[in-house]
Amino acid sequence: MPSLAVKLPQEQPKEQKPILRVENLHTWFEVRRMGFFKAGDVRALDGVTFDLYEGETVSIVGESGCGKSTLAKTILGINIPTKGAIYFEDQDLSTLDKQGWRNYRSSIGYIQQDPYGALPPFMSVQRILEEPMKINGIRNKEEQARRIRQVLEEVKLAPIEDFLPKFPHMLSGGQQQRLVIARAMILEPKMLIADEPVSMLDASVRVEILQLLQGLQTKHNLAIIYITHDLSTVRYFSERIFSMYGAKIIEKSSTSALLKEPLHPYTQALFEATSDPDAENLKTFKNVPAGEPPSLMNPPKGCRFHPRCSQIIKGLCDEHIPPEFQVHEEHIAACWLYKDHQ
Amino acid sequence: MSKVLLDVRNLKLYFRTRSGPVQAVDDVSFKLRAGHTLAVVGESGCGKTSLAKAILRLLPRNISTYSGSVIFDGEDIMKYDDEKFRKEIRWSKIAMVPQASMNSLNPVIRIEDQLAEPLLIHEKLTKQQASVRVNEVFKIVGLPVDFLQRYPFELSGGMRQRATIAMALASNPKLVVLDEPSSALDLLTQANLMNVLKKIKHEINTTFILITHDIGTASELADEVAVMYAGEMIEYNSAEYFYTDAHHPYSQKLMASVPTLREDKELQFIPGQPPSLINPPQGCRFAARCEMKFAKCSIHPNTTQLADGATVQCWLHDKTGEVKHA
Repeated sequence: MPSLAVKLPQEQPKEQKPILRVENLHTWFEVRRMGFFKAGDVRALDGVTFDLYEGETVSIVGESGCGKSTLAKTILGINIPTKGAIYFEDQDLSTLDKQGWRNYRSSIGYIQQDPYGALPPFMSVQRILEEPMKINGIRNKEEQARRIRQVLEEVKLAPIEDFLPKFPHMLSGGQQQRLVIARAMILEPKMLIADEPVSMLDASVRVEILQLLQGLQTKHNLAIIYITHDLSTVRYFSERIFSMYGAKIIEKSSTSALLKEPLHPYTQALFEATSDPDAENLKTFKNVPAGEPPSLMNPPKGCRFHPRCSQIIKGLCDEHIPPEFQVHEEHIAACWLYKDHQ
Repeated sequence: MSKVLLDVRNLKLYFRTRSGPVQAVDDVSFKLRAGHTLAVVGESGCGKTSLAKAILRLLPRNISTYSGSVIFDGEDIMKYDDEKFRKEIRWSKIAMVPQASMNSLNPVIRIEDQLAEPLLIHEKLTKQQASVRVNEVFKIVGLPVDFLQRYPFELSGGMRQRATIAMALASNPKLVVLDEPSSALDLLTQANLMNVLKKIKHEINTTFILITHDIGTASELADEVAVMYAGEMIEYNSAEYFYTDAHHPYSQKLMASVPTLREDKELQFIPGQPPSLINPPQGCRFAARCEMKFAKCSIHPNTTQLADGATVQCWLHDKTGEVKHA
């Protein structure tokens, strides 16, 4: 029976060294008026701090525009941080030279959201998988063939000979996403960043891909950053969850604690908005906040969720940015409701 | 019980391609009562949208077969010619909110003028009358009336989606077909939209056909659930029973693959892929992926009416065992 079990809380990786440390990361995009005058900044990431340990999966949940993908791209080095630092295996990324960047990038794999858009339509499967190796100096033909065989076996694109000459449009959505994963794995990375890897796929295929990623993680002891808007898949996949809103991480928790009791009103709203398949849903209305996420050019003063929050404390939430409060062990919320927990 | 508003019988829609006809909708029959909502679920490419297009007769040119009967409000609208269908049925009695329609509003026309257009054309209202009606539906979908004077780019995604729903409701249709109304929206926006649709369903008693791949969201609105697989409607069940006790092996597997937030369950997936619709298997189309298949599955299953009112296309449930058409 092909199936995907709920991820059990593993031994706390506290003694382990973090593979990735992100400290007070800011990524701002400058907006120009008439192409010349500075009109302001879009603060896509505004002070994000976290550690990621070896072999651990962290989910980042949030809606579009909250900065999840900017975070991924900043870690990948596609966007340059405005402020703050990223350390990969204790190496500060800002000090890397060209070769250093190349080595760094070859040790992280990136899985994009839309598999078809991520694969070059004019390249065969074989060329798609050879390309990263050529760029990163693996020129030995036998080694190339060995790695291609290994990753295709791992992502279960079999029989391998049938797939090698195919082009992306000849593959189904699930197969395309497997190929994207294979490409991310070909340089034997230590960390994967998966940006909504299953949101474009059907329910049954989704489970298949998540199971595949879970298997790869256990086999290679990968650290994974799993970015998603779908709270219901995270429990099958990750040890910790970060919830993002308005370019900040507002809640950090172990998966089991968060699913038992979400603390931040925004995470609670996400929770409420997720529909489990249940005929009872027809009878009740959902209690979700109206309105839109804030503009990141002009974020609201104080807590960024306060204009939509039903539990707002007047004079506090709309004036001061909430710091992170340690509410329980392994459960942190940036919300004034928990100001008594220090 | 309310009367039957839509009665679809043996509806077929095949597309002509170079490699043969694509059986996008194959022999689909169902009944929908007034005021009820039918959720049509299934994987991508199973024929959900084609079914909607076949009901509304929004057809491309490469049609090879288009047959069956669609009895709407007591009349077989398949017998209408195209002109009569356009004038009397489409948009005035059956409206549709197509997939990604929030992105298909005309960017250079104000929302109010776009919403009024079908009223001016179909109902021959004056501009003032249309404006009054547009104001009404805008309130129904929960948008502030002053947004009517804005252009589409000035509205957020959720608001534009509500505007397209308002456009479909403007002519007071008896049936509204919603094709993936919320899948492009954020979670909270999606939940808000489902609240709005639920309110409309309760207050003005509109009949909806909701096409979606998201079984969780479908449960927010559905009275009945129809599961499509490879062009066929393999199960039609009331939502009450479907979500706890689906009959068809495919429906059961589909339910088992949906992750849930509030309970721990082991997710399962269905190995393999749906068959090609160009030359689908002679027997049950799901047989190749089914764990419960037996010898008879190589013959096409009959549609069986079960005691709880559900209909299923599966030999496991056909107690008579007769082969009606081989």
